[in-house]
Amino acid sequence: MERPIIKPIGTPMEELDTPALVLDLEQLQQNIDKVHSFFEGQTAKLRPHVESHRCPTIAHQQLDAGGTVGGISVTTVGQAEVFAQAGISDIAIANEIVTAQKIVRLCALAHRAKITVAVDSADNVRSLSEAAQAAGVTLNVVVDIHTRLERCGVEPGHPAVDLAKVISQSQGLRFAGLTAYEGTLITDTPEELSTQSMNLIQPVLDTREMVEAAGLEVSVVSVGGTHNYEIAGAMPGVTEVPAGTYALMDHRYSASRPGLKSAAKVMATVTSLPEPGKAILDTGKKATGDDTGFPNIDDFPNVTLAALSAEHGNITWDEGNNPGFSIGQKVWYTPFEIGATVNVYDYMQAVRNGKLETVLEISARGRYR
Amino acid sequence: MDNYKPQIGTGIADLDTPCLMVDLDALEHNYDLIAKTYEDSDCKMRTHTKNLKSPLLAHMQIRAGGTVGGICTAKVAEAEVMVEGGIDDILIPNQVITRDKITRLCTLAKRATIMVAADNADNIRELSEIAVEQGVKIGVVIEVDTQMHRAGIRDTQTGVDLARVATDASGIDFRGVMCHQAAVGSPDRETRFIEGRRMIQTALDVRDAIVADGMPVEVVSAGETWTYDLCATIPGVTEVEGGTYALMSHSYGYMEDFEYAATILGTVISTPRPGVAIGDTGSRCLGSPGGVLPKLAGMSGVAIDSLQEEHMVLKSEGDMPLKVGDKYQLISGQQDIMVNRWDQYIAMRNGSVEAVWDIPGRGCHN
Repeated sequence: MERPIIKPIGTPMEELDTPALVLDLEQLQQNIDKVHSFFEGQTAKLRPHVESHRCPTIAHQQLDAGGTVGGISVTTVGQAEVFAQAGISDIAIANEIVTAQKIVRLCALAHRAKITVAVDSADNVRSLSEAAQAAGVTLNVVVDIHTRLERCGVEPGHPAVDLAKVISQSQGLRFAGLTAYEGTLITDTPEELSTQSMNLIQPVLDTREMVEAAGLEVSVVSVGGTHNYEIAGAMPGVTEVPAGTYALMDHRYSASRPGLKSAAKVMATVTSLPEPGKAILDTGKKATGDDTGFPNIDDFPNVTLAALSAEHGNITWDEGNNPGFSIGQKVWYTPFEIGATVNVYDYMQAVRNGKLETVLEISARGRYR
Repeated sequence: MDNYKPQIGTGIADLDTPCLMVDLDALEHNYDLIAKTYEDSDCKMRTHTKNLKSPLLAHMQIRAGGTVGGICTAKVAEAEVMVEGGIDDILIPNQVITRDKITRLCTLAKRATIMVAADNADNIRELSEIAVEQGVKIGVVIEVDTQMHRAGIRDTQTGVDLARVATDASGIDFRGVMCHQAAVGSPDRETRFIEGRRMIQTALDVRDAIVADGMPVEVVSAGETWTYDLCATIPGVTEVEGGTYALMSHSYGYMEDFEYAATILGTVISTPRPGVAIGDTGSRCLGSPGGVLPKLAGMSGVAIDSLQEEHMVLKSEGDMPLKVGDKYQLISGQQDIMVNRWDQYIAMRNGSVEAVWDIPGRGCHN
């Protein structure tokens, strides 16, 4: 696992060993305050999706901040296990859990926490029902509805209603409601974001009415994310929004979510200045997690991150734009997609006013199963 | 982190997914091929463990033969893991900067032979200062840029000057030169030999100039997986930094002598629409920098359409042959990035678990 030199509390952040994932605790609190305070005034509440930080300490901070349903959202059973062990008692797995081994683990968790799981097939409902009965637990089940993202889910309308009926008739299961994830939406204007979000969410709300008309109670409608939390959260009929990235934020959302700022960044060190116009840094793909995009180089607008190799960053500049780097100098990367970055570290070195305050463990890193 | 320890003897069908499997027959084939290649050569392999992150996998190659008896690591933290795992000869073909890291490096030199690459005089002086403080000797090789346009000296005279600085510095053993080369595309054997030889010649020229200036050069470290066979035939190259050959990557598919030893096992979790299947293996566990897709091993009629964080979209032209619960195996496009996402190797032989090995070097970026 990651083996940084852990410096004494109070060490200025520029003296931390690199590559380091550095968390600004004040910015984290500001991001949480901004989003959670919106939900305090709404019927819909936030269910923080913790896959984007994988850190139980931050999850508890989110639940303490108000405006939530009192629980979290995760993607895998392995993540749910970590957060349940850390004392979280209400966990929704926004994913299909289909294999016998995983369903057994899910039911075991249900002895310790309220567990909600998504389904998109009647066969899976039957497997869950049998296992829940065998384990003597009740699983809360939501129907996963396909809207935009090419992933799991049944179509809105009758297919979803039919599946809801199957769940409601299954022993060991409680039909809880509906969930849909439209995928990241980034638009040119707020109006477009609003229109597109509402167009994608409306079929889920229409389905809700159809399910209710069939005589079933719908207590959960979970939609939206960081990209549209205030739009989804204000639509009547929506009960929860599983947003996650808002807490740490990333470069991907920097233009479309200007009210939230990056709270977790990677600090790198210049290790070579081999020729004019070029610096080599100690932070490459492995310590960045650039699966979906390059990080942004902060503070030096006139340099380019020309390449990332496995272990190195390669920054270039034109003559006349010399940033004056020296070997040993620290350079900050704002990750493109923070969830990918968090997943390659074991620690967040948390600072306040530029000084190390604590080191947080990223306990659910690598929990893919 | 994950802690997946399936029972010995568990078959593939019963493994929980996603998991990272290593086929031991394939791994041993690759290790034996290296042993045979360098058996009678003056050049030897120095396996790059940034691809393996496991002292055990490093020891397995050393025992199989054909090596210098040591390894490479990219970072100081990785070197610490390897020394703790019993390796006693390490080259870090990379610059180690900052007093903190150099101190760690010097501490390792109390337990292992350590060499590090340098490309500037200030760094050599700082290495010297701290090595003297710690009472150790650090081997230094001069990094020569031969093609990568990354770190490394750009002209021969600078190489000679740095060799002189290293030779004169207390606490430093000047050992020689090192260089990296990356393949472009999927070259055939002839192209590999022509291009590889041309690039490596730059480093040999620097070596010749250093020797002509009166300094002995013991080490010329060059080449990697794509030039492993070439390097065994170039007089003057003393060691090769191969890494990918052990577990392999589909981007090295043109190196047909090596077998794919590492695969990620996934499971279909949904078949939501005609011709579509969703798998439980996403970019988080695969490591897909720049969106490089993995390849499906031994499966036809299905293609990987796209990756999401924790999911994969599979598509077929006609009826989807995969059902919910079916398993599939993936070959990574960039194996070292992929291994760096995992905590355990599930070591398989003939389709069942023979051993489970931790990956202690995972995440050692420092």
